[in-house]
Amino acid sequence: MAAATALRLAEADRARLNATLAWSEEALAAEAELIGRSREPGALQNIPVAIKDNIVTTGLPTTCGSRILEGYHSPFNATVIDRLHAAGAMVACKTNLDEFAMGSSTEHSAFGRVRHPLDPSRVPGGSSGGSAALVAAGVVPVALGSETGGSVRQPASFCGIVGVKPTYGRVSRYGLVAFGSSLDCVSVFARTVSDAGRVLRVIAGSDPRDATTLTTPPMALPAPRASLAGTTIGIPREYFPADLDPGVRAACDDALARMRELGAKVVEVSLPHSSLAVPAYYILAPAEAAANLARYDGARYGARAAVPGDVRALYRATRGAGFGAEVRRRILVGTYVLSAGYYDAYYARAQAARRRVAADFSRAFASGVDLLFTPTTPTTAFKAGEKTGDPVAMYLADVFVCPASLAGLPAMSLPIGRSDGLPVGGQLIAPPLKETEMLAAAAALEGVLEADTEVSR
Amino acid sequence: MSVSPADVERIASLAELAVSPEELPELTAQLDRIIGFVAQLSASGDTAPEGDVQIGPLETPLREDVVIPAALVRGPAEIAPEFVEGFFVVPKLGAMEE
Amino acid sequence: MTWETVIGLEVHVQLGTRSKLFCGCSTNFGDPPNSNVCPVCLGLPGALPVPNAMAVRLAVRAALALECGVQEVSVFARKNYFYPDLPKGYQISQFDRPIATNGKLQIDSADRGPVAVSIQRLHIEEDAGKLLHDRIPGKTAIDLNRAGVPLAEIVSGPDLRSPAEARSYLTALKQILVYSGVSECNMEKGSLRVDGNISVRRPGERELGTKTEIKNLNSFANLERALGAERVRQLALLEGGGRVEQVTLLFNAGTGEVRPMRSKEESHDYRYFDDPDLPPLKVGAGTLEEIRAELPELPGAKRSRLMSVYGIGAYDAGVLASERSTADYFEAVCRLGPDPKSAANWIMNETGAHPAPEALAELIGLVADGTVSHQAAKRIYPELHGGSAPREVAARLGILQVRDEDALRRWVDEVVAAHPDEVVRYRAGESRLLAFLTGQVMKRSRGTADPKGVQAMLARRLEDS
Repeated sequence: MAAATALRLAEADRARLNATLAWSEEALAAEAELIGRSREPGALQNIPVAIKDNIVTTGLPTTCGSRILEGYHSPFNATVIDRLHAAGAMVACKTNLDEFAMGSSTEHSAFGRVRHPLDPSRVPGGSSGGSAALVAAGVVPVALGSETGGSVRQPASFCGIVGVKPTYGRVSRYGLVAFGSSLDCVSVFARTVSDAGRVLRVIAGSDPRDATTLTTPPMALPAPRASLAGTTIGIPREYFPADLDPGVRAACDDALARMRELGAKVVEVSLPHSSLAVPAYYILAPAEAAANLARYDGARYGARAAVPGDVRALYRATRGAGFGAEVRRRILVGTYVLSAGYYDAYYARAQAARRRVAADFSRAFASGVDLLFTPTTPTTAFKAGEKTGDPVAMYLADVFVCPASLAGLPAMSLPIGRSDGLPVGGQLIAPPLKETEMLAAAAALEGVLEADTEVSR
Repeated sequence: MSVSPADVERIASLAELAVSPEELPELTAQLDRIIGFVAQLSASGDTAPEGDVQIGPLETPLREDVVIPAALVRGPAEIAPEFVEGFFVVPKLGAMEE
Repeated sequence: MTWETVIGLEVHVQLGTRSKLFCGCSTNFGDPPNSNVCPVCLGLPGALPVPNAMAVRLAVRAALALECGVQEVSVFARKNYFYPDLPKGYQISQFDRPIATNGKLQIDSADRGPVAVSIQRLHIEEDAGKLLHDRIPGKTAIDLNRAGVPLAEIVSGPDLRSPAEARSYLTALKQILVYSGVSECNMEKGSLRVDGNISVRRPGERELGTKTEIKNLNSFANLERALGAERVRQLALLEGGGRVEQVTLLFNAGTGEVRPMRSKEESHDYRYFDDPDLPPLKVGAGTLEEIRAELPELPGAKRSRLMSVYGIGAYDAGVLASERSTADYFEAVCRLGPDPKSAANWIMNETGAHPAPEALAELIGLVADGTVSHQAAKRIYPELHGGSAPREVAARLGILQVRDEDALRRWVDEVVAAHPDEVVRYRAGESRLLAFLTGQVMKRSRGTADPKGVQAMLARRLEDS
């Protein structure tokens, strides 16, 4: 499997996907040797898994798509890596991402953008674009990404694959390089719902090294179901605005029709505070990020600017040169909204807005809805360069995925059709800890949509 | 509430980020745009009850007080840009000195 | 012109745990640089903090000893600033929801008598690493062994009225924390650090004057001297018509002067926010009572009890109770029978290691029943810590007290014969010469004669003409 993976990775390099940041035959051989030591086959035995380059690994460097961590070799593995190894899986490579996971297109990587496997002029989405592209291109069957505001669901939707974000606290963040600590979730890409569920089950579980993990019974694998009888699907009206892209709307209508055919009851609900989600997110996540990225100063690890002068000169030059434009903007926004005199107007308000967004979901689920269904993204994959001129335009790409992140809910995207040849994703959002139910329903829908969603040749 | 170049310089200083004079105007405009966008939260004046939805655990777990070896695959010397006689090394404090 | 001095102290103590606050690295002092480090305390990408249960326990214990209200729910917050000894670029501390508030500590002020100094808050936070400026020429060396060690920060109200009171407060605080087993409180090893805030105002004024802060004081004496020097400086300023600026100062122990720290920045903007990596810290009622039950008898209560149970005075009780081990020793000795006052005197006056309680008790008994004189006993005392019994030592040194009448009479005769003038003068009325002559007998007997018996015998002898 190591050799076969190496071949596919080399092919992907030749195709100039630019989806990988690090891989080598030696590293693959070392992985094969490591998992070969176990006497019993694990749940993911010999499966190659691509790893987003903000999850630390000892065998390959971790850069987070940033110059400031160029050449950094982590002295420890993330918990999710240990769990993959324990299940017999191997780390295939590290994948490209928006720098420090800040972005929605993977155009903000210091190491070049990732090309959409179906159309190289387009973006695969972000920030986990590299992982999404590799799974969509058939280079690896599954990949790990991370979500803070939708960074797995959105690229899954653009690339026509499955992307699953668990409940916040379901999967350990130990070893996931922190961006927005109260939002970050290691998440899974796969070509099928079933594969995504298998990987999620392996990496999930409380971790004594992460105080924010939940102590819950292990996640059960979904029982296969062919019918959605007894399941109530809620469609929030705020996610189906009048000006929704017609291709996206058509695919959603089709998916809803299929769900009704499978026996689901479909009701309209309202999540009235949905429009607060993106502004609240762009206060809270940068604030946490500003603090989380303060450790990158060239003192103890990573890259260091060669400048004369005192410690302050070192910090400023290292960080000024080492961080890209988007990261720098977010650090500055985050510092601003926490600074003296602004905390109440911004940070405190954003926390309140977050609670309102979360309360909307609770109310909807309490009213008898089992799952919510929405489009994952307002459009299909956009062209490279289309949104980089205006940071806010890029932020609005997250409008449908951001709220579930703020609420800490499990959510996923699965392919539901095409629009002008580009994949369209449908989103399911579940109550806390209901990943199993969500995956079961998704699999049922996937079963009837399968024929229409062939991804790559 | 708009963001001025002086604001940007003050914030960049707090965040120890170098911003060159050439970069300042565009960066100020971008930050002004972003802050303008998120400031719509202040304008919303929402009085709806917030609810007390809990995200993550309700209380922090505590660790037993035992010494555990660090299990680092590579030590400080190997990851540090400059490491001399067991110490991480940076320039003199200079302006940062209290 | 009279002025009132207002002082508050901010004290940091290292909580006595084996491992750091948020990771399992050792807190051992003096290990080779950067040998007690891990991803968490190095601030490596992807690392996360998990709090140490014993650190919380010790902080609660300290809070209870200081009569604080312990919050059932408290929150860790990030204090954001850049400095080479701070690996994450923020310190995990507590801000608006600390673990304890509203306590008090009694001190004895030379000027005002007993004073209850308020404790505004006690919170838990992690320590920073150490910087060495002279280790590598032209550079700063960083040792992160200390980064992440657990600290309790204890902030008093502005209730102290003199540098001497500040010192008394720090002494009392150290005593109570050492008693409770919370911290070693060793200023030399850095497990006790103090910053002082001081301002002055007219007596009767309710508003506080502008305060200055003195940092990095390294001894109790220097705390008092520095506050004294700063008070003088502030008064000189104000009496000259100037204003006190809010500055942070350092004390130069050599010159006795305070000087402002170099940076003249405004106060830091720490941009505190609740740490999203740490859910709230909860101390349930059951745990609180468990910890309360762990508290030993505290110094104030111990002093009172020693006075009432053993009938010793306040000064003696204070000295004996200054350390738990001394008080325990005193009580162990008294339980074996000796008169408490004698026991107290022996313990307070003799330096060096104390012998086993049984040995001291026996020695006191030997003096009480006249087997050895008090003088002789002082020669026996140093020999006891090796484990020898007092009576044996006395015999070995040949200083068992002599009461034998014949022996005493012999010495008395010798002295009377040797000092005829003094005998005449005594009989003529100089009665104080009895002491002199008694002393001469003691000398001849090399201290072994029973002084009371000698004195009585001499008195009778000299009466007969």
